[in-house]
Amino acid sequence: MSVATSAASAPAKGSPKPWPILPMIELATLAALVATPFVLANRPELITLMTNILILSLLAVSFDLCWGFSGIMSYGQALFFGVAGYVIALVGRDLEFSQMWATLPLAMLVGGLLAAGLAAFLLLGRKTPTSIFVAFGTLTGAYAAERLVAGWQYVGAGNGLSAIKLMSLGQYEFVEGFEFYSVALILLLIVYLVSRVIVRSQLGLVLAGMRQNEERLAFFGYRVQVFKALIFTFAGSIAGLSGALYSYHQGFTGPTNLGPGLSTTAVIYCLFGGSGTLIGPVLGTVAIELLSYVLADTDAIKQYWTVILGIVLLVVVMFQPTGLLGLVVSSRERIGSFGKRGAR
Amino acid sequence: MTGPNLGRRGFLSSAAALSAAGWVGSVAGGLVLRPGWAHAAGPIKMGIATDITGAIAPSGNANWQVAQFAVEEINKAGGILGQPIELYLEDTASDPKIAVGNVRKLIQERKVDVVLGGITSAMRQAIKDPIVNRGKTLYIYPQLYEGQECTKFLYNTGPSPAQQCDRLIPYLIKTLGKKRFAMPSANYVWPQLLNKYARKVIEANGGEVVFEEYYPLDQAEYSATIGKIKDGKVDCVFMTIIPPGLQPFVKQLYESGFQKNGGVLTCVYYDENLLNYHPAQEMEGLVSCLDYFQAVDDPFSKKLQEGYAKKFPGTKYLFTAGSASTGMYRGVKFYEAAVKATGGKLGREEVAAAMDKAVLTEGPGGGAEMVPGHYHAKMNMYIAVCKSTDGKTRYDIIDKASMVDPREC
Amino acid sequence: MIDFAIKFAFDIMAFTSVMVLIVLGLGVIASMMGIFNFAHGELVLLGAYTVYLCDEHGLGGWTGVILAPFVVGAVGLVLERFIIRRFYATPIIAMLGTYAIGLIIREIVRGLLGGHYKAIPEPLSGAFAVGGLEFSEWRTFIIATTLAVIAGCYLLLARTSIGLRVRGALENPMLARACGISTGRLYALTFAFGAALAGLAGALIVPLYALSADIGIRFLVQAFLSVMLGGVGTFEGPVLGAAAVGGMAAGLPWVVIPVLADPLVFVIALAIVRLRPQGFITVGRL
Repeated sequence: MSVATSAASAPAKGSPKPWPILPMIELATLAALVATPFVLANRPELITLMTNILILSLLAVSFDLCWGFSGIMSYGQALFFGVAGYVIALVGRDLEFSQMWATLPLAMLVGGLLAAGLAAFLLLGRKTPTSIFVAFGTLTGAYAAERLVAGWQYVGAGNGLSAIKLMSLGQYEFVEGFEFYSVALILLLIVYLVSRVIVRSQLGLVLAGMRQNEERLAFFGYRVQVFKALIFTFAGSIAGLSGALYSYHQGFTGPTNLGPGLSTTAVIYCLFGGSGTLIGPVLGTVAIELLSYVLADTDAIKQYWTVILGIVLLVVVMFQPTGLLGLVVSSRERIGSFGKRGAR
Repeated sequence: MTGPNLGRRGFLSSAAALSAAGWVGSVAGGLVLRPGWAHAAGPIKMGIATDITGAIAPSGNANWQVAQFAVEEINKAGGILGQPIELYLEDTASDPKIAVGNVRKLIQERKVDVVLGGITSAMRQAIKDPIVNRGKTLYIYPQLYEGQECTKFLYNTGPSPAQQCDRLIPYLIKTLGKKRFAMPSANYVWPQLLNKYARKVIEANGGEVVFEEYYPLDQAEYSATIGKIKDGKVDCVFMTIIPPGLQPFVKQLYESGFQKNGGVLTCVYYDENLLNYHPAQEMEGLVSCLDYFQAVDDPFSKKLQEGYAKKFPGTKYLFTAGSASTGMYRGVKFYEAAVKATGGKLGREEVAAAMDKAVLTEGPGGGAEMVPGHYHAKMNMYIAVCKSTDGKTRYDIIDKASMVDPREC
Repeated sequence: MIDFAIKFAFDIMAFTSVMVLIVLGLGVIASMMGIFNFAHGELVLLGAYTVYLCDEHGLGGWTGVILAPFVVGAVGLVLERFIIRRFYATPIIAMLGTYAIGLIIREIVRGLLGGHYKAIPEPLSGAFAVGGLEFSEWRTFIIATTLAVIAGCYLLLARTSIGLRVRGALENPMLARACGISTGRLYALTFAFGAALAGLAGALIVPLYALSADIGIRFLVQAFLSVMLGGVGTFEGPVLGAAAVGGMAAGLPWVVIPVLADPLVFVIALAIVRLRPQGFITVGRL
């Protein structure tokens, strides 16, 4: 798992490199996640919770690829999540088909195409858009999609689509439980490894440059917008995968699955854990979802949980932009920094 | 925007969706109520999945309280065949997405024997699969809705469109003499299916539907609609708009002088709670048809209200028909009757078979009877008109129909 | 038919007036400080909530309407001093931070309201007749107030020394600072002013729309699009943008089915902004 902390992250200069913490965190997380279903063998509802967490962390990772690595503030990541989820539900309903070896790639394709389309509209073209415009464009995309879907009878309108055909492999159907958890974990692992390779590669270097100073990179001759579109498309396909898994697991999808609400939640997951590190969003999702599950039983908190989350976001944004991971991982090692960028 | 203090049908919401409230974290309020004398010999576990927080909270809290009230009565009388009922609450938070997760808790963690709840149709659609299919548990849905829910092991204890329209519309056409109908509606499934049914009844009784239109839930400007109402000489508005678009529409309708010129506004989800959403003068003359109004002169119903007020003094959550409370009461009592009939056995198949034939002799607004094989119940239906005096509104009952057939499935 | 058209136009004007007030506040903040205030919708909500509180405590509707801008302006001032000013360097983060603030405000109000929808009576009820057509008094008041505010703002900007300083800071903050204009204080004032406008809008609209925790959201995206459409950096820009978006929102449902018209407005507005990023009136620096 450790393509060691390479040149991509640390400027090769004098001072001795501190012990790389990130790979250790990654390994520890992997170990914990693998052990979980065995530890929780007799608490099926907790396995269900953890499966959900794994699926949602995929969404958070997709956001991190956009923001933490490329500086694209995507306020509408849930758009790809939700649309893929709907497509899966429709395929299950109208075509009665839910074989995972076909539908999951389909979800990724849908997510990727949609992201490519949105990227083409927002990013490419003669005039370079401001980052505010891109952020706002993604928000509007998600918002418009949500309103469209909420009024469209074919996709269930406000009711959403329920009783989604279970994900299947041959004759076997996946319900919540150990098997689904394993599938989710394996997929998360694959996506994680692929992403890690990408961000440590030469492409990753370009992304890092983009993140630090877009204009300068453009002057070097790199077509910055094209790279942004590429990574946005990739992130979109991951979000699509996440959305499909979510639909299969929950058995339900609705307009809220594509809107700004869920998108912002993904942002919170990622920022809280620590953006720009890939493992940060995973940890963030785990932390927030576990916390909400545990605290939810306390009456007083339940009423104001959303307020607390808002405060968490505000605090993170104001005081600890590097998130939880920023507390333990040195900024040298972090594959990206949240901090101040030139206002564009 | 989010739903109303009376939800039911699949309203959901573009705007509710907007409010990140739903999506941030899964907020579940797991709560257990166990009577003091519960003993290990298998209490009956009843799960309530309703909206304690979020836009539908006013209805959700009302029917949670009614459930507690009904169960307490049963337990005080010794439970069902000696077994006490344990109540488990999960908050569906007015968001189907969160609801799915929390309902799963009821099934997997608490292992309840029956789930009652869901208010909006969107909620019902979302949670019925985890309960009935994946969870293999009995599900009772207590709210008035658009009908056509014929899932096995899913019992509906709220009024169906037939029950609400079959007498109301003839009353409007024949007694009040209003023949030209307009159907301004919120754009989702409940109004669409309800309108389909209502249109049939209207035309069968010699009335005419001048126009039927659907608006986004947060539509605020209805000038075009009011214009069509005036031009089409509509004298009866069969409204299925819900908040937040509701208040602007009613206000604009009133300001256009519709009621002054003899027009009648009718809406089948209006209960006492909803009257408080508008200034009194806008509500004068509104006609509603529900399974219960607090004005109903029935000693048992009055006793229920007193008992409820004693258990929850000064509560802002009223025991009304619009908040799924009457259906919840019926649901709890039907379950009690069914378990009594099976001799205490709690298996889904047996209880369902018994519930299919269950009969209640008393309830809010009167008794109720399950129609065997049809998953719906016969109940009394009342037509009421809103009158306002000195800025205070109340309902006057003008018609009662006994044991109306739901005509579903 | 003419009657109907006039009534329709009148109602749309009343709605657009409120949009203009909201958009004005948002635009002024965006132009001056370069940040998009995602909590703006909730500032509108606070204005409405103030009116509700005054009504609940028997102080009457008018007190609420007059108090609202001041209360919300004060809230804006506090927010700016302690939180918002950290975001000026990073507008993208500002979006997140202000979104968080908005979320907090909205959920607190939701908790206070208990999820209910409250009807607020309008201080000026009834209608007056002109030429056989009835016009709601309150809507007329809304239109009149908006016109007065616009006129007042224009006079303030064009004729007073404060206005001069504001315009200077709008056009070139660096130079303004060099001239000794305290941009920090100006920003605080501007934010408070934008917030006050939002509060006023909320107070004016709430008798028409009923109070609930979500009324802020529906205005937000539309308001943003209006600002981007109209052009950041001027006074007239956002107003024009609001008129454009309002007109589109009112007109499209005649051409396409309402279900499609709703999201289409946003898509079209977004496309226009993409093609002409500087908006209709191009002066600003964003």
